[in-house]
Amino acid sequence: MRRYNPFYFILEALKSLKRNGVMTFASVAVLMSCLVVIGGFSLLVYNIDVNLENFGVMNKIEVFSNFDAGAGELEALERDIRALDNVEEVTHTTKAERLAAIKKDYDAYEDITDEENPLSDSFEVTYKDNKKVPELEMQLKQLNGVRKLTNRYDLAKKIENFKNTVMMIFLWFLIILFVVSLFIIVNTIKLALSSRKREIEIMRYVGASKWFITLPFIIEGVLIGAVSAVISFFIVKGAYSVVTRQMGDMTQVITTVNISPYNTLILLGFLGIGILTGIIGSLISIAKHLNT
Amino acid sequence: MIDFKNVVKTYPNGTVALKGISLHIDDGEFVFIVGHSGAGKTTLTKLLLGEEKPTSGHLIVGDYDLSRIPGYRVPHYRRELGVVFQDFRLLPNKTVFENVAFAMRVVGTPAKKIRRRVPAILNTVNLADKNGSFPDEISGGEQQRVALARALANNPKVIIADEPTGNIDPQMSLEIMNLLMKINKLGKTVIVVTHERELVNYYKQRVIMIKDGVIVEDKVGGTYE
Repeated sequence: MRRYNPFYFILEALKSLKRNGVMTFASVAVLMSCLVVIGGFSLLVYNIDVNLENFGVMNKIEVFSNFDAGAGELEALERDIRALDNVEEVTHTTKAERLAAIKKDYDAYEDITDEENPLSDSFEVTYKDNKKVPELEMQLKQLNGVRKLTNRYDLAKKIENFKNTVMMIFLWFLIILFVVSLFIIVNTIKLALSSRKREIEIMRYVGASKWFITLPFIIEGVLIGAVSAVISFFIVKGAYSVVTRQMGDMTQVITTVNISPYNTLILLGFLGIGILTGIIGSLISIAKHLNT
Repeated sequence: MIDFKNVVKTYPNGTVALKGISLHIDDGEFVFIVGHSGAGKTTLTKLLLGEEKPTSGHLIVGDYDLSRIPGYRVPHYRRELGVVFQDFRLLPNKTVFENVAFAMRVVGTPAKKIRRRVPAILNTVNLADKNGSFPDEISGGEQQRVALARALANNPKVIIADEPTGNIDPQMSLEIMNLLMKINKLGKTVIVVTHERELVNYYKQRVIMIKDGVIVEDKVGGTYE
């Protein structure tokens, strides 16, 4: 019965990490930057999405009727809107409903009675194709009984564009960082391999199996990945809470998401990416520098 | 049993190192493989160690067909071999005991068995009193004996010694050779690759001479001129 001591592998990996301390530090530092960027980027995009949703500006135009429009005119207007090509859905809000909503949000308007209602009815138009919004706006303006339109499409588009730019920059940044991390891990493991060259040679000649020889190096990669992941998690958590606190003080318009419920998910994600990168780095190094 | 059948080895650069070797070595034999450098001894050794595969022909060692052995089986095959090199290849940061134990540990031998077996092997090579020394604290001859003990550690059927006396003085060389003979008497097949005439001629064993990739002489009690 052949028995292998599991601590042997971990011990060998730890010894090697310590022996090549500078490279270990470099590996962890770069992989950590990579994970912090991934984390920061994901949280930023997630926050942008949540805010876009809150604005309700994604694909909606609000159409306001004339102030003196009667029930029949309003019905006709709604029908006309529905008949347009690019319209997906229409929600009619009466001026009384709008006033009630405003009263609920702002105490100062509480005294206004229905007779004094300064508002008009509105139709929230959800459109299908945001490339054809300018045409839709033209068509809506020409309909009978339309007083004005508000379309926050431009704002939404600006935010979308911002989001896309952010994504592109981060993506490139991420690719570069990821390649650098892999490169450094590959070299760390290469160093570990070369400092145990003699040992590996003897192991091969006495018939140690390939997995026995390579496992300590893979564990080294796993440890680099795991340590980077845990440190990154705390950095991202800390930085996020500082940033959201400042944002909260600055403006009430932007909502920041509370990420505490996602702690486990974020940590697991980091661990997954970190460990996977470590393993890939080890495997590349082993394939390149260990001919068994 | 070791069986070469018309073994040809051509390296990717076009060098033909072995040009059709046929050779049979029985269990328990003692064999010298001799020849000048570049004759093909090293290639022959590499084939036996499973480091290289024959380009054509068959090479069978015990239960293993080395001409078609898959990579994952090679470690298992090597457990049936004990190898000794010219430059000893000991681990400098491990003691004599640990160097021998290392070979057993990496193939998964239980610690209890290691503790029992290592002193016995060190005794076989007359090194029982040096088990706590580090390689740089002992002589070249003693280092080679440690290497020999390590080669014996996993109780292999075949011992391959590649120029085992190349790095040690003549006096010590005789000692190493005597030990190899002793190991052979214990029933192991011993193959000594060397180009040291005096030793070969002194021991009068089977001598296989290789020249330019072919066997030019195979004689029991042969000499090496």
